[in-house]
Amino acid sequence: MRKVLALLWLAVVIVAGVHVATIARSGLPLETDIMALLPREERDPAVQAAKDRIAETLARRVVVLVGHPERDVARTEASELRRRLTEAGLVKTETDVPGPEAIKRLGAAYFPHRAGLLADNDRAALEHGDGQSLVTRALSQLFGFGGFVESRLLARDPFLLFPAFLTGLPVPANRLSIDEGMPTVIEDGTHWVLVSLILTGEPYALEFQNRFVTAFDAALADAPPGVTAKRLGAVFFAQAGATQAIGESSRIGLVSLAGIVLLVVVAFRSARPLLLSLLAIGTGFLVALSACLALFGSLHVAAQLFGASLIGIAVDYALLYFGQIFTNRTRPADRLAQVMPGLALGAACAIIGYSALALSPFPGLKQVALFSAMGLLGSFLTVVLWFPLLDRAPGARLNRPIAAAARGLWRFWDEARFGRARIALVLVLAGLGAIGLARLEPDDDVRRQQGLSPTLVAEQAEIQRLAGFGQLTQFFLVEGDSEQQVLEREEALSARLSGSASGWQAASRFVPSAKRQADTAALVERDLTQPHLAAYRDRLGMAAPAVPEAAPAAPLTLAEITATRALPFLDALVLSEKMHVVTLDRGHDPARLRAAAEGLDGVRLIDPTGDLSELLRAYRLRTLGLLTLTPLLMLALLSWRYGWGGALRVMLPATAAIVLTPPLLALVGVGFSFFSAMGLVLVLSIGTDYALFCAEDRDRDAAILVSVCLAMLTTSLSFGLLAFSDVAAVRAFGATMLVGVLLAFLLAPSVKQRRGLVPERTER
Amino acid sequence: MIRALLLVLLLALSATGLRAEPAMLKDGDVLRGHFVQERHMQGFAHPIRSEGSFVVAPGRGLIWRAETPFAVTTVVTPAGLVQSVEGTETTRLAATRLPFLSRLYDMMAGALGGDWRALDGVFAITRTADQIVLVPSKPDDPTAAQIAGITARLGRFVEAVEIRKPGGDFDRLTFTAQSLNTRPLDAAEAAMLK
Repeated sequence: MRKVLALLWLAVVIVAGVHVATIARSGLPLETDIMALLPREERDPAVQAAKDRIAETLARRVVVLVGHPERDVARTEASELRRRLTEAGLVKTETDVPGPEAIKRLGAAYFPHRAGLLADNDRAALEHGDGQSLVTRALSQLFGFGGFVESRLLARDPFLLFPAFLTGLPVPANRLSIDEGMPTVIEDGTHWVLVSLILTGEPYALEFQNRFVTAFDAALADAPPGVTAKRLGAVFFAQAGATQAIGESSRIGLVSLAGIVLLVVVAFRSARPLLLSLLAIGTGFLVALSACLALFGSLHVAAQLFGASLIGIAVDYALLYFGQIFTNRTRPADRLAQVMPGLALGAACAIIGYSALALSPFPGLKQVALFSAMGLLGSFLTVVLWFPLLDRAPGARLNRPIAAAARGLWRFWDEARFGRARIALVLVLAGLGAIGLARLEPDDDVRRQQGLSPTLVAEQAEIQRLAGFGQLTQFFLVEGDSEQQVLEREEALSARLSGSASGWQAASRFVPSAKRQADTAALVERDLTQPHLAAYRDRLGMAAPAVPEAAPAAPLTLAEITATRALPFLDALVLSEKMHVVTLDRGHDPARLRAAAEGLDGVRLIDPTGDLSELLRAYRLRTLGLLTLTPLLMLALLSWRYGWGGALRVMLPATAAIVLTPPLLALVGVGFSFFSAMGLVLVLSIGTDYALFCAEDRDRDAAILVSVCLAMLTTSLSFGLLAFSDVAAVRAFGATMLVGVLLAFLLAPSVKQRRGLVPERTER
Repeated sequence: MIRALLLVLLLALSATGLRAEPAMLKDGDVLRGHFVQERHMQGFAHPIRSEGSFVVAPGRGLIWRAETPFAVTTVVTPAGLVQSVEGTETTRLAATRLPFLSRLYDMMAGALGGDWRALDGVFAITRTADQIVLVPSKPDDPTAAQIAGITARLGRFVEAVEIRKPGGDFDRLTFTAQSLNTRPLDAAEAAMLK
């Protein structure tokens, strides 16, 4: 029977192997977008659509500022960069910098409708009854130096309101000027030329991002000395993130593996346990990978990272089994029988723990949950079904000092003479915990959790500052029943935003609503033309036009302006006729923004980063809820074997570990994030395993504690290394695991303080 | 228009370098003078005439004070153009908001140093002993698109300039009482050019 099951398991492993190999031939589909780890907005499809649109607009955009003290060098290198990337097929040939023809079309589209168009400041002046200031401005342009003075324009626009409207348009990147077709800004003697590119490929695809960044770096490397570049674009962040994650994951995986190999060889002085351990790990990993790919279609790099750590846990089962070679049991079946209850209970508890992760709505964590649970199950089955068949290891003697140390830990928790020391230890831990508790702070800011390259973040900020780009971390979503209603609602919002130091972009600021256009024409007629025009013309000797110009048949529409292609950013502002986005420049007061949307129909402030932070908070709390629920489930399972009192005792070390770990980490300044909470879920499972293994040992056998110690060391090795990750989220997770597992190990032997926890069994 | 006038200014300054006798303007110099500006525009009974004084400080900018019949001060610096009437700002055009303004400032600065390359690409330049004529050489270039032609009469400094626009309008400027470095910038002027 056992052989049949072993063969069945072999078949499953082979199928998984073939499955993974088939997919791997065309490259493993790896995902690197950290946002993919986070849940999609389920509450409101409109909000999700807006966020997707903004993300899509951003994701394929790459903006580079090429700088050099000499204008010509900066310009040549900017063109060269574009040429090389275009020729490599990495960026589209079209550009979103409007050419002179498009600008002309824009002027031609606006001009017939000028009566309904007014710069914000001019409107404010007229609304305050100050038409005279506009007259003075026109006179100062006529009599002063420069100005838009031209007879044909003056005849149709005597107060020069139209040029004021055009120069007042809130175009983004407003620190740039077009220098012979190239957007340029000069600062401190450096000419910065903007190169705006649209990628032809997916910025989150590893292959594309590597090709792009390689070509980009090569182009810059060939530039003459003194040429600098500042980069902005999701592709740079994604590439840096992926390189870092993959590097980290393989480093951590490698060091973890090396550590485990060394430990196992030193402990068992034989290659066979090592090979079989690797077999257990390998089958677990393979099955987990296959299950993840089958269920999710791709694998997230984070899941891979956690997968590397999984090695640390999976090896526990193999270690527990091979710990038995230090006993007098030489038959593999006996060895398995001895550890089977602990293994089975441990696996069951761990799977309960990992299933808790799957309850989280975070898709990436579902992958991690499935990966871990399947990996553990696979390793467990390999140990249980294959090890007895493959185990040829003779009995061995435990290294004396190690055995003595293990027995020492048993005795510490068992013997009366250590009573005071035990109390002291508990008091010290409780004291440190209490101090740490006072310093414990939740940390939900999503921006701190990502391992964004600081160089790129700095360059991004520089570009935004130099070019005057807005931010897209917050925006307004404006909805209505018709385009006109949306425009009117935007105007209501703009009225509330006006007066703030920073700018904003809304479609209605480029094409006012029909109602606003009519109001404007009436306002100009009433407060400027009627009271001032006749005297103004007299003063200048300017003839009135023989035939007054007819008003346009219909108000200006958004479609007419979009069709000029002179304002490409309008595409990002207009999601549909009934849904617009209002974007914001940097420097707005968040409280004021929230207040601006309040009470306005169809207007909502969207704050993706804030929302994510809020979600992280919500899921941190939810995970804490899971952490109270899971021990209760485990308790129920364990009480079946140990009775309620015994089950409580078995749960105590792991529970103490998860309660103490966050405050202890707070002492060294680690905040408590959602990722720490997730670490605690695992500490609970692993810690329970340790206590179980100890509880299942009737003889207070050094071999068991040595196995648990090896398990703790391997787990700490792999998870502990995560504490050195550059990604704050992973770091918090790793540090939690490190401290939690160590605590759980130190406290685990306390389950044996009272004899007779497990019913005696007759040895064969 | 600003472009046209800046070009004139540029010529006025660079022309000083063309003559054998006067020293070329350099950073720290201050050129002062009197101007009469006439804007001849179609549909107007008479030209719009203004009169006043100007100060040019290479590397810093230009102060153009119209005194009659309408007092308005225009200050042009690399950052842009600001007009004010009785101390109240009426117009502000940041160089970044007005394409080419800052570029023209560069051209001006280049020409001040005797560097004509910046102009050469945009205008065909014909010089005689006492006259310089500029004609746009690239009709497509936006820098030249608003100017049909410029003619300047040269003395020790530029004495008169006529700027013709494509629609038939033209501006005529006459400069008199020009003096180089007779008086440094006063505090108010220095503040305007900051």
